[in-house]
Amino acid sequence: MGNGLVFYLTTMLVYAGVDILACLGLSQQYGVAGVTNFGFIIFQAAGAYTASVLSLPHDTANGGFQTYLGGWSLPFPLPWLGAAVIGAVLAVPFTFLVGRRLRGDFAAIGLLITAVMANLLVNNYRPLFNGSAGLSLVPAPLQDRFDPQSAGFQWAYAVTAIGLALVVYLFLRRVTESPYGRSLRAMRDNDLVADSIGKNVVSLRLSMLVLGGAIAGLSGGILVGFINLWAPSGWTYAETIVLFAAVIIGGAGNHLGAVLGALLVPLAFEEVTRFIPAFGPPGLIPALQWVAIGVLIVGFLWFRPQGVLPERRRIAARFAAAPRKPDGAAVAQASATTKDTDDWSLPGARLPISPVGNRTGRTRPVQRRPAEPARVILRAEELTRTFDGVPVVSGVSFELHAGRLTGLIGPNGAGKSTTLAMLAGTLAPTTGSVVFHDREITTLPAYKRARVGLLRTFQLASEFKRLTVLENLLSAVPRQPGDSFHGAVLGRRYWLASEERAIDRAEVLLDQFGLTRYANQYAGDLSGGQRRLVEIMRALMAEPAALLLDEPVAGVHPHLAHEIGEQLLRLCAAGMTIMMVEHELAIMDEFCDPVIVMAEGKVLAEGTMDALRGRSDVVEAYLVG
Amino acid sequence: MSLLLASLGFGLVTAAVLAIASVGFTMQFAVTDVLNLAYGAVMILGAYVAYAINQHGVSIWIGVCVAAMFGALISVLLNRGVYTPFQRRGTAPIAIVIVSLGVTLILQFGLQAYVGGNTVSYQLDQVPTLSLGGLRLTSVQLVIIGLSVVTMLAVHALLRFSRLGKAMRATAADRSLARTCGIRTDRVVTITWLISGALCGVGGAVFAMDAGSFGATSTDLFLVLILAAVFLGGPGQAYGAMLGALVIGVGTEVSAAYLTPAYKDVVAFAVLLIMLAVRPTGLLGSRT
Repeated sequence: MGNGLVFYLTTMLVYAGVDILACLGLSQQYGVAGVTNFGFIIFQAAGAYTASVLSLPHDTANGGFQTYLGGWSLPFPLPWLGAAVIGAVLAVPFTFLVGRRLRGDFAAIGLLITAVMANLLVNNYRPLFNGSAGLSLVPAPLQDRFDPQSAGFQWAYAVTAIGLALVVYLFLRRVTESPYGRSLRAMRDNDLVADSIGKNVVSLRLSMLVLGGAIAGLSGGILVGFINLWAPSGWTYAETIVLFAAVIIGGAGNHLGAVLGALLVPLAFEEVTRFIPAFGPPGLIPALQWVAIGVLIVGFLWFRPQGVLPERRRIAARFAAAPRKPDGAAVAQASATTKDTDDWSLPGARLPISPVGNRTGRTRPVQRRPAEPARVILRAEELTRTFDGVPVVSGVSFELHAGRLTGLIGPNGAGKSTTLAMLAGTLAPTTGSVVFHDREITTLPAYKRARVGLLRTFQLASEFKRLTVLENLLSAVPRQPGDSFHGAVLGRRYWLASEERAIDRAEVLLDQFGLTRYANQYAGDLSGGQRRLVEIMRALMAEPAALLLDEPVAGVHPHLAHEIGEQLLRLCAAGMTIMMVEHELAIMDEFCDPVIVMAEGKVLAEGTMDALRGRSDVVEAYLVG
Repeated sequence: MSLLLASLGFGLVTAAVLAIASVGFTMQFAVTDVLNLAYGAVMILGAYVAYAINQHGVSIWIGVCVAAMFGALISVLLNRGVYTPFQRRGTAPIAIVIVSLGVTLILQFGLQAYVGGNTVSYQLDQVPTLSLGGLRLTSVQLVIIGLSVVTMLAVHALLRFSRLGKAMRATAADRSLARTCGIRTDRVVTITWLISGALCGVGGAVFAMDAGSFGATSTDLFLVLILAAVFLGGPGQAYGAMLGALVIGVGTEVSAAYLTPAYKDVVAFAVLLIMLAVRPTGLLGSRT
């Protein structure tokens, strides 16, 4: 093999390794966790600069023709390690951009602007990294011992780059296929809901920025050790768009797709155009390349948004053999059949959950109005919320008692959902406080409330669309060993047992709700009523002490709605405290006691439905109107 | 003192250009919910259309008018051909931002492939007409400031006093509710793209005048200033964008006079990041 060919091949392999690393990092952030990092290239650049100044001698060497920070002449592999570490550390200041308050697209814009500005700064400020000229003569790893121009060195470098890409691929797969990875994907699908079932989305996003930053930094370190120079023109914000194009074309959320995208777009695309005979004025071909990247992005997002290799559905073997109705009939209808009804009327002993409230040792009978006064679990005190100065909820106070199914009704705009959101921590009250288990939790964020056993569901469909029904259920299981970065890295053997137990519980619930045959379907593909059931089941998987349901039976078949009511009563009997916002008065009549009536942001009355019907103000505010 | 006045003059011109562009951008976002990052690319297209006309000996001010029409046309086509189809399909806002980046590449580098990599300039008569201490403004700069003030007043009148402006504000607040109330939201959205596109075209042409020489990728950095102005005032807030443009325009030029000019845009960047961190709804936006 000629030296030229060796050099060409090894160069392509190193580029492939570097591009694969970068695309994997981006795919993990964007495809798996839904963190749109338009500033990704900064992290690669940071890694490259770090590796450069760690391996370069002091800037007075080489005649002092370039100026830079540091210059420590550190031996391999310290420059590469430093590159990864600095890439990771650099991510930390961006935490504020990925918080709960900021829309994902605004955060993305913030990162894009940061990339533009970082490039501008480094370009203009020469003492940092030699300004626009960039750093050159960056030493290759171990160049004091081997000749970097030798074929052996070139091959070793290529193999190392590809090998590291493989290691990172396996590592990311391990992380993504764990309960922790499931939480990341849940956050990607709906961060508000992930928050409400106890996921700390700020921490999850920060972890992904740090992990992706480390990978990007490493890729920069590998690249600069090979090409021996690094300048601002090589990491403009547009390079991030190329990586996004690669991940979108390959298949966001599928790490193999990221690998394919890396090979197709940054590598093959640049290489193929190299063989096109030059035409037109200089600069024409690069310009047309950019146009083509733009066309690829728009075209793929339109014609094949899932990419060449779409994210694959995680199929649980246990449910794979479950018979599936060929027509995929709605479960609301299916549950109306005698068989399902029989399942439902099984005694509460089949309950797959053990509510936290059980710890009191008291179980409440399924009956209205227990004789003794029940313990107060959740208390709203003078809750007020204004939007733009307009009061929506003003001075709402009530108590939820252990083992009771409390109803909350009122006309549209009465402030029911707002009240529920304040109780669950989705929305901060303007004034007033929330007390849970005698503990003031007014300022506790939603995910922490979920972790202490106060859970909510949403009025609008809030399933994790690209998680299967089973995954939706499992996502809410609290304190899973595999649901942390640490646990995910430890691997399957560390968390499989608890995962199996969680699946056991999910299996019972799925059976009760008649959704077993849909366990492996994407939740987003179910009917509206089925999705409500998934949401209720998911909440139950969390074993909450108190559950706040926002119109749980809206759009559900009346028969099934009745069964859900029965089920909720059984849960209350087992000690759970439930509050339900609902417009369906038949459900209120049958199951809820007491019922709280809200109108125009205030509590109008509280009592049994029978008593409420006797009150003219309630009838006027709601029952008639 | 004269340094301050001189930089203030530059700042006012930059603010004037920025205001025209930012108001267009923020109206687009408010009414259509598209963060159209291709805005800068459409601006530079408008600037080149004005240049093509100017090259034929026609007054640049007629060129500005043609740039406005061109910007309006391109924007409506972009909405009809790209953004609305994606929105109808339920594509996530963030994916539409990525689409707009793709559109940016297509427009901007398509233009570069056509006109080449060199920079060009308009034929302008630059005579200083106002000199006040260190504050010196050319006739062109004065016209730009005047044009900007007139545009802002027109936008104000449109939003406050016209039925169309009311319909636009209603559509921005809640599109489906507006439709239920009998507002033909599709038409409102199209008209918004038309108006904001015209502002974008004008913005591009006056940007090119102010910059002196320009190339196909010249608006890359200016888009950052637009975003800073828009986010400072609160995304979707027309008056906020005007205020933001004033603060960013004057702020960058005054800081350029006292710091190194190379870093003047970094001030805008810092403002943008601080706003995103502290108050993402902007100065004039409501608190969430």
